[in-house]
Amino acid sequence: MLQSHARLSAEDRQAILDLPYRIRKVDPGAYLVREGDVPTHCSVLIDGFAFRQKLTGEGARQILAVCIPGDAIDFQNMFLDISDHAVQLLTRATVADIPRDALQRLVLAHAAIGSAVIYVTLVEASIQREWVVNVGRRDARARIAHILCEFGVRLESRGLASGGGFELPMTQEQLADATGLTSVHVNRVLKTLEAEGLITRQRRNIQYVDWRALQDVGDFNRRYLHIAPEDHIAHHA
Amino acid sequence: MSSVHDFDLLLRRWSKHTQLTAEDRAALLSLPYTRKSFGKDAYLVREAQPATECQLLLRGFAFRQKLLRSGARQIISFHIPSEFVDLQNSVLGVADHSVQSLNRCEAAIIPRGPLMELAEARPAIRRAMWIDTLIDASIFREWVVNVGRRDSRARIAHLLCELVKRLQAIGMGTGETFEFPLTQEQVADATGLTAVHTNRTLQSLRRDGLIQLASGRLTVLDWEGLRNVGDFDELYLHQAV
Repeated sequence: MLQSHARLSAEDRQAILDLPYRIRKVDPGAYLVREGDVPTHCSVLIDGFAFRQKLTGEGARQILAVCIPGDAIDFQNMFLDISDHAVQLLTRATVADIPRDALQRLVLAHAAIGSAVIYVTLVEASIQREWVVNVGRRDARARIAHILCEFGVRLESRGLASGGGFELPMTQEQLADATGLTSVHVNRVLKTLEAEGLITRQRRNIQYVDWRALQDVGDFNRRYLHIAPEDHIAHHA
Repeated sequence: MSSVHDFDLLLRRWSKHTQLTAEDRAALLSLPYTRKSFGKDAYLVREAQPATECQLLLRGFAFRQKLLRSGARQIISFHIPSEFVDLQNSVLGVADHSVQSLNRCEAAIIPRGPLMELAEARPAIRRAMWIDTLIDASIFREWVVNVGRRDSRARIAHLLCELVKRLQAIGMGTGETFEFPLTQEQVADATGLTAVHTNRTLQSLRRDGLIQLASGRLTVLDWEGLRNVGDFDELYLHQAV
């Protein structure tokens, strides 16, 4: 995960390999972190999917981000003492837990590793900004198209999807919670995108029919993902 | 250290979350920088611009924004003195959004190279800069919730509460009155509402005796009331870190 962002020396690599960690399997729906938790470890998602969420005082849920394999789950908690949101599993997953103090020592002692970890957390922040825009100023159709584009490009950059599409591990209700819509509205928009010949759907499998048009509808520009062009597998859908 | 330095407020803010040694402070204060003034609505950073420098707000307010292809604008955050408006760009290399001044402001322009070298050489400063960007990210998350799942009254009340808490933390604002250089259109762009809807909502908050807004100043008449309407919990500002 960190290799693509920094030139790490052999010594840096060894320090990462020497980190203590614990691998665990987690079930869908389980919480990795809860809002208000005082973190004792930071986690990396080895496989499976998760999402960040917050509840409003009235109990409405807003999904803030979707975590894909290879993502750091709560590296922000390395230096923030209380978790300001919850992370919940979308699918069954494998997670590596790293003790918080060991990670703190590592990133402060090794500047190159620190930079790589900062890079990762800053890209997350950039995605978060884009979501403010998505939910704040785009219409329902654009919001859904945007999230589908983002998901596809991120999965591809990790080699987890190729060209034509992906398995979307989210229910329509979860898509609604990620886009500030109702699930009825999401259902209608997905049908429209399909009817317009932009995507096809089979259960949760989404295939792009017209990638360029989907990006247009979603007002999608991948700059905010800060993925180097060479990391990206070209789309020819 | 008796003379007043442009970075004093930054140091005071950082020392709340990070222990800095005398050497850390001296290294920070010896950073090269130039002071630059901006009129209202000037661009401090433009989207897609490569990052060659970093800007620390010394006076005045600024905001981050993104434009849609349709021309609609979403404001992503507000910034007040002692905050970096584009620290992330020095690491990411390119600006993924723009930063504009809200009123007349002044910034310290620090070249990227020396700033990154300082962060590399001084773990405590690296930590402090990191915490700043993490708190920024936490605020962005809260804003997704605000525009995604709160009604218009709550969105605006929440925005007001956040500004008040942040201004208080740096000692700006006496008692219940705070500088508030936002136009209604800017409040609308920050909350995903229309200007008309924003106007109506601000009036209802006034009518309910929660706030007063006049000539660029916000007075909070009923903090608990405003906070309740805004579903505001300051945990996400991590001010007690």
